[in-house]
Amino acid sequence: MSEFNPNILAFCCNWCSYAGADLAGVNRLQMPPNVNVVRVMCSASVKPEYVFKAISQGIDGVLVLGCHIGDCHYLTGNHRTAKRIPLTAKILEKVGIDPRRVQLDWVSAAEGEKFQQVVTQFVDDIRSLGPNPMKEVRF
Amino acid sequence: MRLAFEERGADYLLAIKEAHGQAAPVLLRKGDDAGTMRFDVPYQMTMILTNISRFIKEGRIAVVARRCDERAIAELVKRDLLNHDNLVVIGLACSEEQIRECRCTDPCPSSADIGHCAAPAKEDQAASSIQSMPLPDRLDYWIDQFRKCNKCFGCTLNCPVCFCDDCLLEEKTFTPEKGIPPGLAFHLIRAVHLADKCVECGECERSCPSDIPLLALRKMVNQDMKRMFNYTSGDPERRSPLLTTLEGDPMEDDGDAC
Repeated sequence: MSEFNPNILAFCCNWCSYAGADLAGVNRLQMPPNVNVVRVMCSASVKPEYVFKAISQGIDGVLVLGCHIGDCHYLTGNHRTAKRIPLTAKILEKVGIDPRRVQLDWVSAAEGEKFQQVVTQFVDDIRSLGPNPMKEVRF
Repeated sequence: MRLAFEERGADYLLAIKEAHGQAAPVLLRKGDDAGTMRFDVPYQMTMILTNISRFIKEGRIAVVARRCDERAIAELVKRDLLNHDNLVVIGLACSEEQIRECRCTDPCPSSADIGHCAAPAKEDQAASSIQSMPLPDRLDYWIDQFRKCNKCFGCTLNCPVCFCDDCLLEEKTFTPEKGIPPGLAFHLIRAVHLADKCVECGECERSCPSDIPLLALRKMVNQDMKRMFNYTSGDPERRSPLLTTLEGDPMEDDGDAC
């Protein structure tokens, strides 16, 4: 039986995390290829709606990466994210989806290595959680 | 309830009246025939109040409000959708039966002008039994429930604190244009939108033709809001934590208030 390869969506903010991901790529850091990066202008533009839609359509995990608190290009954008995403995970838990499938982390433009660590760790976590149960469900 | 006009100095009164054997909300002016007033029907007055207050520019409206209406009004006043100076709130205490139906933990209005305060209900049985299920069972339970949804939008239309003119859920990005049920995301999006404003009036559950236990979901999310941000919606003083920075200052723009 082949190993479960999770399908992961990573929302990266344009100003920090996407540049961090870029740096990780330029430095040829090895990381699992399961992550699909979506560039957003700010981590605050990742509305819970998008996370819910992704999860309900069978994405195994959603990773939201933004600038460190205080470094937001839009000053308080990531404050919003810092409250929203944990709430999103909580609501998913209420309907029976493991809250660890949604993770929030801060990666700055200089932290290519941190990006590698976060992604590797997240992929491992999702591997141990198994596939998203919503994949099997047809509404 | 002539007292609304004489004692509180209101120009209009929004209450529920008996009409053709049914209970219907009416807007009365001074001197109108009130007929038989009904105070036993759980009816979301806040919805009607928000709609009519757009057209009534002058004069104060007295509204017969339960505790949940009162809290919903507080939420809308915070978001500048209602003007508190134009309102006269007449408190209506819920009966024990209604409290039991809503599993209401906060039934007593700030001034009970009509009726007497009954004791609040204990913790919601439905919510705590769902909470105690392991995750896969919980998901099965909710999928069974959400499968019954026929996308009537009753929960949205009757919700006192759902105030967007263009509802996000009417976009095909989030709700498929064709076919029912609308999927898991529909209900989760509603849950997150109402997280910081749901007043647990139970109107969504009452208006649901498929009897989805929406109130249990709302109560669970509200418990989380309480635990995470120590915030209870309907608080007239505090801004929603989702619209403030981590330090609690208001955000520069309120962006999507929904």
